[in-house]
Amino acid sequence: MISDKVNCKDVMKHVCESLGEDLNSESCRNIRMHLEECQDCRNYFVSVEKTIEFYKEYNIDMPPDAHNRLMSCLGLQDESL
Amino acid sequence: MEETELIDKAKAGDKKALAELVKKYEQTVYNFSFKICRDPEKAENIMQETFLSMIRSLYQFDGNSKLSTWLYRIVANHCLMAARKQRSDQFVSIENDDSLYNERDIADWNGVPFKTVENKELRDILDSSIQKLSPEYRLVFLLRDVEGLSTEETAKITELSAAAVKSRLHRARAFLRKEINEAMQYDI
Repeated sequence: MISDKVNCKDVMKHVCESLGEDLNSESCRNIRMHLEECQDCRNYFVSVEKTIEFYKEYNIDMPPDAHNRLMSCLGLQDESL
Repeated sequence: MEETELIDKAKAGDKKALAELVKKYEQTVYNFSFKICRDPEKAENIMQETFLSMIRSLYQFDGNSKLSTWLYRIVANHCLMAARKQRSDQFVSIENDDSLYNERDIADWNGVPFKTVENKELRDILDSSIQKLSPEYRLVFLLRDVEGLSTEETAKITELSAAAVKSRLHRARAFLRKEINEAMQYDI
């Protein structure tokens, strides 16, 4: 762990709070500096990004008959038939 | 046909236009429902309820937001109603920040033995981790990070303030990362 103006726990919180937002603001300077020097926090950053990526990529297709059941439940005709 | 034209026709009672709208959004609605409830049967029921609600209240759709955003709101309401029937002690409380950030939990994920969500073990971990989150936190995480909606759109759908969306989002991210991290160390 690296000792500077912010500690690892501060960085972990900041990563979760501001991921996807502007990390270039002046208020993020200490966080960026810490991230550049601390491998543990860089690993943490990667793992939060990966968590989001996993959930983004985890998609599921509708079951084959779900479309027909839906149209029937709504009382609609499928125009493709 | 443009979506606005389809919506106008559907509002006027054109069933063909309505069917086209349903077809256009059914996969999105099913997928989002599944992501909240993690159960294919429940996801299909919620999809049906969502489109029934859409048909009943389409006349109220003013076009100020995207139709997809409006549908997310209907899905969210149905999921929250379904979740209220579940016991609240099934969910983990993540109000306390400190429990979410433990420096000893930091691990290098670059060397994880799986690469994609096609991996069954990873899917099981993702399902069980997110199901520990209360539906209110789940919704915010899924709308913002997974569906890519803005903080303002998420706030509108969930009827929360922007500050509350941000606060729930960072806790949900930290919690899910922590759960996956722990599960990977023991299960994989």
